[in-house]
Amino acid sequence: MRPPIPHTLQVVAGTLATQVLPEARTPFGQQAVGLAAQLCVLISQEFDRAVARLVEENGAVVALFARATDVVPAGELRDRLAAAAATPVPGPDLRVSALQVVNDDLRRMLIDLHAAVEQLATPEARALDAAIWDELRASTQRRHLMQG
Amino acid sequence: MEAAIEKYLALKLGVPSVKVSHLLRIPGGASRETWMFKAVWNDEEERHAEEFVLRLDPPASLVESEREHEYAFYRAFEGHPEIPVPRMRWLETGPEHMGAPFFIMDRIPNCESSPRTILEPFWAEARPMLARRKYEILGRIARFDWRGSTIESVIAPPALDACWKRELDYWEDMIDRHEISPQPISRAAIRWLRANPPPPAERISVVHGDYRTGNFLYRTDGIHGIVDWEMAHLGDPLEDLAWSFMEAWEWARDGKKGGIIDVEDAIAAWEHTSGMTVDRDALRWWDVLMGVKGQALWLTGAHSFADGRSSELILAMTAYWLNNFQDEILLRSMGRSA
Repeated sequence: MRPPIPHTLQVVAGTLATQVLPEARTPFGQQAVGLAAQLCVLISQEFDRAVARLVEENGAVVALFARATDVVPAGELRDRLAAAAATPVPGPDLRVSALQVVNDDLRRMLIDLHAAVEQLATPEARALDAAIWDELRASTQRRHLMQG
Repeated sequence: MEAAIEKYLALKLGVPSVKVSHLLRIPGGASRETWMFKAVWNDEEERHAEEFVLRLDPPASLVESEREHEYAFYRAFEGHPEIPVPRMRWLETGPEHMGAPFFIMDRIPNCESSPRTILEPFWAEARPMLARRKYEILGRIARFDWRGSTIESVIAPPALDACWKRELDYWEDMIDRHEISPQPISRAAIRWLRANPPPPAERISVVHGDYRTGNFLYRTDGIHGIVDWEMAHLGDPLEDLAWSFMEAWEWARDGKKGGIIDVEDAIAAWEHTSGMTVDRDALRWWDVLMGVKGQALWLTGAHSFADGRSSELILAMTAYWLNNFQDEILLRSMGRSA
């Protein structure tokens, strides 16, 4: 078996920080080695969770779109929301790059939805606005990384 | 690189040769390559030994600015010791000497600049004085009469009621051009900023553009240089105050602005030397905009790294660490955090 990738990157980070950094001769070199070590720590976390994060987030945004079809007036935006809400999430391709393309499309539409909802005064729109802010908060928690 | 600098200095100093040594790249910069070095030369009368700093444009960075622009702001403060800056020596706007535009300035010796060093126990006694000086100098920058200076040759002043919109437009455009993925939190902040504009600026001031701990040179006896003027412009002086207060610069994570001062003490020092009173509602508007500006800068750095124009690891770090941290800051600025 191969060592798990997050573990391997953590070891690389430790090696850079404890064995290579002291050998760097210039302040700029020390900074570069330190940054490389920190990046390994961050990437190790992101590697392990990336698929779960994207699948969860894409599902959460699609659920908002389904709810929004009852709030947003008839028109081009509502049609787009309805189409997105009817698309299975996740799709068949679970590569991070494919999930990220879907995530980008959904979050671009979320911006449009948020701007539209801000202009509506109905109780349903206010509740949806609050739900969108909940999702934006959740999105930062999903992306949060711990520095080594 | 030594050889190119030696050739250039010999040309500028009008001497047969110059010897460059101790050439070191200064760490920390994410926007310009900054190098320090020693130079020795002989003229007809005596031997000279001086220390210099060279600021070189990289292929890509966090900031898109003109070297000539930054040089003009440094030059404007020559003869104004209340706003200390290094003395400018030479500016080159073409690539013929070093492969990119650059300028050379005197090195102010024996100074620290690190935002983490100032938090160390050795600096505990001097830290309150340095923190107060930081905001007294910023107040003097806000009050500085830039009319007739070199600044007017590189930038036109905005109208008092146009400062906010010019900055907001600029940073929104930066996000439009450099976001790798959609930014729903920044976009919500931008909509709020447009719907709730601040009052006109009290005056048109020099705005440093990156005034924070890390961009001044200090010793235990005071601050000896304000550096990194590449984002300098004319505008609302509250912008600098808000940028210096940004949560990203709270290095000790203890609520102290720039890691070194409570917000009310900073405002009091600034008001004392600027002669102005801070409008707290306007300051909040600028605080949210500075969150957008921060995000625009991190996105620009991440974009430069992602498209291969730069291999600086500090730009990759902005993508993996600062983008989300800045979103968290924006949520708190807008009162939308949990």
